[in-house]
Amino acid sequence: MNMLFFRSEEALEQWLASKGSARGAVLSIAQLWELSQRWYQDRLSPEYHGRTVEQVQEIFRGVGLTSTFWSI
Amino acid sequence: MDENRLWEIRAYVYRHIVQTTRPPLVNDIASEFNLSHEQAVAAYEELHQRHALVLQPGTHEIRMANPFSGVGTRFRVRANDREYFANCAWDSLGIPAALHADAEIEASCAQSGEPIQLRVVDGQVQSSDALVHFLIPFREWYEDLVST
Repeated sequence: MNMLFFRSEEALEQWLASKGSARGAVLSIAQLWELSQRWYQDRLSPEYHGRTVEQVQEIFRGVGLTSTFWSI
Repeated sequence: MDENRLWEIRAYVYRHIVQTTRPPLVNDIASEFNLSHEQAVAAYEELHQRHALVLQPGTHEIRMANPFSGVGTRFRVRANDREYFANCAWDSLGIPAALHADAEIEASCAQSGEPIQLRVVDGQVQSSDALVHFLIPFREWYEDLVST
């Protein structure tokens, strides 16, 4: 699964080693909440019909997620 | 199918989940919108194609209507006196964001299994020692949505 909680950096490093996976992107809970609000605040609206890639990139930039991990 | 009708079905799916915590079945859609079973199936398949929801592979049941999960997960979210399942760590905060509601989230550390509890109160998330790891770069998210 892509997006998981970890109790600590140490726990994350142990998990990555056990899976043989490269480190992806790490967010604090505060950052995740900011991202969640921007991403999902209008999801229940009947007017929501999805987003363009440009709109997604704008959301990422708005919460400071600017590395290549977040780009197309 | 008429474009407006398709998005009305999508809105109904979300209303149904918010009210009952569970996604509607194809027969619910057929009944609500006076459609044949085949028309309701076609609507679900079209919404799946457009990434508006995700069907359980090989079925016409909703697996994900993000941030909500159609199946039980280890990400539990209590809000508005109901208990929802989220698809992942992100979606567990996505549910109170979508509902614009306070919430209590019960999840666990993916490595140790230790409980991780978060609260959203008055639009603020209460601080926690936990962190979130995104494994897959954004450009690859739609290649395998269930795993994402």
